[in-house]
Amino acid sequence: MVRMSAMTDLPDRFPDIDYTRYTNRQLAAVPLAVLAVALAILAAWYVMTGTPVALGIEFTGGTEVQIQTSASQSEIQQSLSGLDPTIQPVQVSQGTQEYVVTTQQTDGVRQAIESQGYEIASFSETSASFGTDSVRLTLIGLGIAFVGMSLLIFLLFRSFVPSIAIVISAFSDIVIPLALMNVLGLKLSLGTVAALLMLIGYSVDSDVLLNNHILRRRGEFYESAYRAMRTGVTMTLTSIAAMTVMSAAAFLLAIPLLPQIGLVLVMGLSADLMNTYMLNLSLLRWYKYEGVSR
Amino acid sequence: MNLRENWRIVLLVIFTIASAGILFGPFVAAQAGGGDAGPVSLDYGLQLSGGTQIRAPLVGMTADDVEFTQDTNFPEKRRAIAEDLGLEPSEVRLSAGGRQAQSQAQAQSGNTIEVFSKNVTRAEFATTLQNNGFDVSQDQIRNGVTAQTRETVVNVLSDKINEGGISGGNVKTAAAGNEYFVVVEVPNAGEQEVKDLISGTGRVQIVARYPVRENGTTTYRETPLLNNSDFTDIGAAQQADPQSGINQPHVPVSIRQDGSAERYSQSLQDFGFTREGIGSCPPNADRNPDNASGYCLYTVQNGRVVYAASMGQQLAQSMNGGDFANSPSFVMTTTNISEAQQLAVNLRAGSIPTELNFTAGTTYTLLPSVAERFKLFSLIAGLVAYLAVSGVVFLRYGSPRVAVPMLATAAAEVFLLLGFASVIGLALDLSHIAGFIAVIGTGVDDLIIIADEILQEGKVATGKVFQSRFKKAFWVIGAAAATTILAMSPLTVLSLGDLTGFAIVTIVGVLLGVLVTRPAYGDILRNLMLSEEERERYTEQ
Repeated sequence: MVRMSAMTDLPDRFPDIDYTRYTNRQLAAVPLAVLAVALAILAAWYVMTGTPVALGIEFTGGTEVQIQTSASQSEIQQSLSGLDPTIQPVQVSQGTQEYVVTTQQTDGVRQAIESQGYEIASFSETSASFGTDSVRLTLIGLGIAFVGMSLLIFLLFRSFVPSIAIVISAFSDIVIPLALMNVLGLKLSLGTVAALLMLIGYSVDSDVLLNNHILRRRGEFYESAYRAMRTGVTMTLTSIAAMTVMSAAAFLLAIPLLPQIGLVLVMGLSADLMNTYMLNLSLLRWYKYEGVSR
Repeated sequence: MNLRENWRIVLLVIFTIASAGILFGPFVAAQAGGGDAGPVSLDYGLQLSGGTQIRAPLVGMTADDVEFTQDTNFPEKRRAIAEDLGLEPSEVRLSAGGRQAQSQAQAQSGNTIEVFSKNVTRAEFATTLQNNGFDVSQDQIRNGVTAQTRETVVNVLSDKINEGGISGGNVKTAAAGNEYFVVVEVPNAGEQEVKDLISGTGRVQIVARYPVRENGTTTYRETPLLNNSDFTDIGAAQQADPQSGINQPHVPVSIRQDGSAERYSQSLQDFGFTREGIGSCPPNADRNPDNASGYCLYTVQNGRVVYAASMGQQLAQSMNGGDFANSPSFVMTTTNISEAQQLAVNLRAGSIPTELNFTAGTTYTLLPSVAERFKLFSLIAGLVAYLAVSGVVFLRYGSPRVAVPMLATAAAEVFLLLGFASVIGLALDLSHIAGFIAVIGTGVDDLIIIADEILQEGKVATGKVFQSRFKKAFWVIGAAAATTILAMSPLTVLSLGDLTGFAIVTIVGVLLGVLVTRPAYGDILRNLMLSEEERERYTEQ
């Protein structure tokens, strides 16, 4: 036999994880505990504020204005105190300082800001009633997407345990970033909703890959799992790298929307690594060794 | 290289060339033919070009499924309902369902009565309808207006924006649940400019105010004589022109000759304008139109008096002599040029039955200079994301022979998507850029699956082995693609602003990827493997 060619002999840079050392219970405990904590955070948030996540002005109604000025942040805070605003400085390379002013009010915000002599770079206003509708539509959208995904997965695998494993992983992939958003003080915006929906797509492919390798192919369990992992972890790490760099760049360059999408995806994809290779894998192992024979 | 065996690569090349043609063709043609075109043929939305978007519902309520009989007199009922509610007749609209609907045995389903006012409650509306002989309960009344009314509003507002001299503006409706919104987008315009153009109903009236002697006392009476639909041949707004005797900004207009002109002329003669009323409107009557004395002709726009005019000597003579009715042209004067412009736009585009409720919608404005910055910077953000992907892929595969085609394929995917955006005239926004980045992400994921599957140990020399591995890889890719498309599809129909664009780009990107680019990458890999195996065989000998 000749030596394997350079291309087929891919370098293995992944550490060998010895799954045999851990029981299914041990493996599943960690992601389930994290999911429980995340759900607890959302529940606590709901009890305290009335919504499970803090809503941005696209959902509550309000105004977001980006202004250009030479005044300092505290000066702006003082001059606009009537609006009860949140003020965030934005890094802009060209020398003029810009701030994002956010307030829950919509009436007379433009006049109040213009009367202080601030130059308005962008202005975005959402009325409260429009925001309430958006919340409802978002919930409907997320709901349909999630149920549709679940049905498709059941249709593809046609057995309960492997399918439900994917559905739980995907659920957790969405819930964990939501809880982290509360912890980090990020508010739910249309951008983050887009990211959450994107997560459904992203998180399912590594799970499908794992299930596919283990259930639909010949070969021993650990061998199949390892192969799937090599591919799946590369995929997820690539996406995490892309999103981390993208959101950092977009944040530094003061582009709206992109940093939020990127950050939520990074959190969700990291959660996905844990959920796929601990929760989903342990469920599959149980199914393969114990569930099937029942 | 066998073209038939590599048809997937051929397809990708054809698509890439087509995209390049679509994106850069107009620019190259313009350079050669001396025309004008941007270097890349792409449209940009407000977030990347600057401008204003206003999204607002229409003011009004609708009573559905109202029973009309053969003898229901629409104009009479309209006046009666308006009067009971303290509104103008133009703020009430009765419409019978189309005949088509009736033939389909839905006889009563299409009849509606609308009222266009913020100040009427649902209960008041129901009571008024009942008092006027319509059997309507409160549950039959909903907020919002009919599709027909919305269509009229969209058409008229589109005309207004185009008449207003702004290019590239667009008006459409968007649904959010049961509620409908009118969305107005105008590039390169500020919020105030757009609001001035579209606020109000655009209703223009000529109202005569004149004294009447009754029982020895003088009272003043106001009679509306003309509205938008009575005017024709509307000229452009013009500055004051003292040489031809017009000392105010004005709009030259004619009155329609199908009876309107005669009626107008006759009414003014009856009221006394053409005799004692000549030149009798006091200066600045428009500042205090409700208390002016004398004979005044008010130009009313959106319910506000914008100018008060006196009857001129010449015009009076032409009315008395009967010449006016034959050539009924005159000028409508205003106090300033911007009002004259607004007047011309309103006269040309016509009025809308109801106005936009700005307080229940969203407004978005962005300075063009800031948008320009977003355009450049989001390109940079996309590029660094791509570089990050490249880094990880090189780290993982080491071999440039696997990594380079992978990254090239991913880039081709975005390139095809840009071509698609150009073909359908999609106005690119930040949400689309996010979609592109998402597509690179899923694209590279899939390419990694293909690479790992095909590059397993063992040779692919036989077509069979390759086919089987390719199929296995595609099962996973197809399943993942189907989930992504499914997850994104609700967003394409729900009206959630930016998210629609994001969802469309992601879905089209995934489809292009699964059908064109990702299969081609499989073929590319096979060719690389085959050539390597051949070389090995050669060295063995």
